[in-house]
Amino acid sequence: MKKIDLVIIGGGPAGLSAAKMAAESGLSSLIIERNFKIGGQLVKQTHMFFGSEKQYAKTRGIDIAKILVNDVLKYSDMIEIMTGTTVVGLYKDKVVTLLKDEKYIKVKTKAIIIATGASEKVLAFEKNDLPGIYGAGAVQTLMNVHGVLPGHNVVMVGSGNIGLIVSYQLIQAGVNVLCVLEASSEIGGYKVHASKLKRLGVDIKTSHSIKKAIGKDYLERIIIGKLDDKWEFIEGSEEELIVDALCISVGLSPLSNLLSMIGTEMKYVSYLGGLVPLIDENYETSIENVFVAGDVCGVEEASSAIVEGYLTGLVVAKKLGYIHPNYDKLYLDFKAQLHNLRSGPFGEKLRRGLEEIMR
Amino acid sequence: MKANIVIVGAGISGVSIAYNLAKKGVKDIVVFDDNYLSGGATGRCGAGIRQQWGTKNNCILAKKSVEFFEIAQEELQYPRDIEFKQEGYLVIATTKEEDLQFVKNVKLQNSLGIPAVVLTPKEAAKIVPHLNLDIVTSATFCPTDGHLNPFTVTDAYYLAAKRLGVKFFYQEKVLNIIVKDNKIIKVITENYEVITNKVVNAAGGYSKEIGDMVGIDIPVYSENHEILVTEPIEKIQGPMVISFSLNIYCQQVPHGSFIMGRSDPNMPQGYNVDASWHFLDEMAKTAVNLLPPIGDLRVIRQWGGLYNLSPDRQPIISDVKELPGFYLACGFSGHGFMFAPMTGLLLSEIILGEKTTVDTTDLHIDRFKNSDFKDYEKSVV
Ligand SMILES: Cc1cc2nc3c(=O)[nH]c(=O)nc-3n(C[C@H](O)[C@H](O)[C@H](O)COP(=O)(O)OP(=O)(O)OC[C@H]3O[C@@H](n4cnc5c(N)ncnc54)[C@H](O)[C@@H]3O)c2cc1C
Ligand SMILES: Cc1cc2nc3c(=O)[nH]c(=O)nc-3n(C[C@H](O)[C@H](O)[C@H](O)COP(=O)(O)OP(=O)(O)OC[C@H]3O[C@@H](n4cnc5c(N)ncnc54)[C@H](O)[C@@H]3O)c2cc1C
Repeated sequence: MKKIDLVIIGGGPAGLSAAKMAAESGLSSLIIERNFKIGGQLVKQTHMFFGSEKQYAKTRGIDIAKILVNDVLKYSDMIEIMTGTTVVGLYKDKVVTLLKDEKYIKVKTKAIIIATGASEKVLAFEKNDLPGIYGAGAVQTLMNVHGVLPGHNVVMVGSGNIGLIVSYQLIQAGVNVLCVLEASSEIGGYKVHASKLKRLGVDIKTSHSIKKAIGKDYLERIIIGKLDDKWEFIEGSEEELIVDALCISVGLSPLSNLLSMIGTEMKYVSYLGGLVPLIDENYETSIENVFVAGDVCGVEEASSAIVEGYLTGLVVAKKLGYIHPNYDKLYLDFKAQLHNLRSGPFGEKLRRGLEEIMR
Repeated sequence: MKANIVIVGAGISGVSIAYNLAKKGVKDIVVFDDNYLSGGATGRCGAGIRQQWGTKNNCILAKKSVEFFEIAQEELQYPRDIEFKQEGYLVIATTKEEDLQFVKNVKLQNSLGIPAVVLTPKEAAKIVPHLNLDIVTSATFCPTDGHLNPFTVTDAYYLAAKRLGVKFFYQEKVLNIIVKDNKIIKVITENYEVITNKVVNAAGGYSKEIGDMVGIDIPVYSENHEILVTEPIEKIQGPMVISFSLNIYCQQVPHGSFIMGRSDPNMPQGYNVDASWHFLDEMAKTAVNLLPPIGDLRVIRQWGGLYNLSPDRQPIISDVKELPGFYLACGFSGHGFMFAPMTGLLLSEIILGEKTTVDTTDLHIDRFKNSDFKDYEKSVV
């Protein structure tokens, strides 16, 4: 069995930052990433990020990924990276099991940072499994990573930031976005993103949703409808639209299955996107030396994922006996950054959610 | 709250007991479970239904229970398919001793009307073609054994009992049972106090703890048994394949997945139900050894559940001489799911003082008082 002191699951902004800070403290680690390259969600985000300068705001997602990846590559003697490798099991005796090229590998470790991010939610409607119906993440991956258009006439479901940004990127790529459907009576995302779309003539239909998809072998048409205040379809409000792709962007939920498997105490917190682990102020779960960072403990932003990564990397290293020369200063700085990112009216639900999972 | 009878535990045993009592007209039955429906061993089990046992008691309990499962859908008026698949159990022998023992077992089974037969390895391969015949010395087969969905059947009993007026409380733990002058007077749960003088202990893995609440020492212990399920594929295997010497049971369930389990001889006693990587390693080796093509399947999930073991690996379905009004349905030793119809029927008869459908002397807790109880069940995984 392979042995290593620290295993980091997920090579997104949280995992990469954790590895960097652990290495700076003197602790070696292994990053396991199921994708063929590291960078997490960022590798498909071509837009400039919001957040503060300290966490690379006004930089494009893909460029932030490059910075984080370079930071990690600088420590190539201390940070081992396994891509194309999925963690399939996590056990109480801190054995992590992996699947790489159809091979099953066991790794014994002392500490684990789980930074698996979040996965997209789906919607239940008739024929929602027709080819041509995508999650927003898949559309981004197709367009921004592989340069493939998902379709020519698209309807977006969901007006959160992701739905708005991806709609805009679709238009930039020459795709006709018929409209954006939003079940609630208000647009979910930031006003700047919504205004950009409106200026391009895209109708954002609030109190609307998708009722069913139509098509034989692939998506051909959809039926949409207006919703009453109980989110039930209003009879007679149906409308048929001809589309070849439908993009669903109705939020993310933490990818916390591995935490359930190892048996950390969990709680369902809707403000954080779903089932999340209980944590202490250093992001340690109810199982000693099992930490979390990033979207997996509450869907947030790359900015906070990066800082949570730094914080857990710093703290885990100390627990295993590797104390960063600037430990105290960095610790306070990371705590302050997280506090600032979550202050203000936009952070309120998040703050309440995080309070609920404090151990 | 007042109740005629309080049942602790709403696994398959508890819901069957509740249903049988209510059907006989008992009113004010209250069932408490600290989990959700099928959250205990019942929802975690291998769901095998087998009549090929080594002791007379187990054979009779299993056979009469199968007779009920065959009509359960109508009897319980369940609106959905109960999913009882009778495609047999193929019991594999791999040693000379097993060959001899199985011939004896089949003789016993036949004498009780169970249609089991002894097969040569070649005959066994006709039923399950992907068997590794190199390690099979003989086999036995009973075509009316099979598989039953534990979630649907527990739900069916639960709904039928509810229709008959039984009250169920889930996520509600029984904390204590108050006894005064050798009589039960009260059951205390997290949110309720129930005045009653009858309590049924159907708490599965926790039945010893319930006994401790009233000072009755039940000679059972609990142990984690692990199990896994694979991705579904087209049907290639009808019956459950089981081997005691190889330590495996493995079956393809109706929607195509394989469910399999084995025991860990080094598992400590206790209440832990963790999944381990050791199990995955050992299970994979055992399964591939006996059923080679299974090695190509992906594992979807693994989990653990509690066996509640009695000294002779047969259940305790009985009253308690030392404490009138206290009844036991526990110690199922890894095969309480398939016995549930009889568990419910017999215990309802015992509680109501009726003549029992089958002799229950050997199911009584008192059989363990003289430690030379003879009829030890060896046909277990
Ligand atoms: C369209 C869009 C726009 C966004 N815009 C912004 C923005 O402007 N500003 C901002 O701050 N944030 C933004 N975000 C959010 C940001 O991308 C995420 O919050 C951030 O990527 C979370 O980082 P993470 O490391 O927690 O998770 P991820 O980036 O999701 O990384 C998790 C990694 O773990 C891997 N993984 C998961 N399970 C396993 C497993 N079992 N085995 C191995 N590997 C596994 C995944 O493949 C993935 O690479 C946006 C997100 C989207 C989708
Ligand atoms: C891996 C595995 C495979 C198995 N395979 C088979 C098989 O193939 N065939 C077969 O027949 N049997 C099998 N069994 C055995 C079978 O699962 C059990 O014998 C049967 O389910 C027992 O049912 P029960 O209702 O007695 O117990 P349970 O289903 O465990 O129900 C007991 C209930 O009591 C509740 N409880 C406990 N304490 C309290 C309390 N203080 N207050 C309130 N509620 C409480 C528990 O939460 C639980 O829900 C298997 C078991 C396991 C673990």
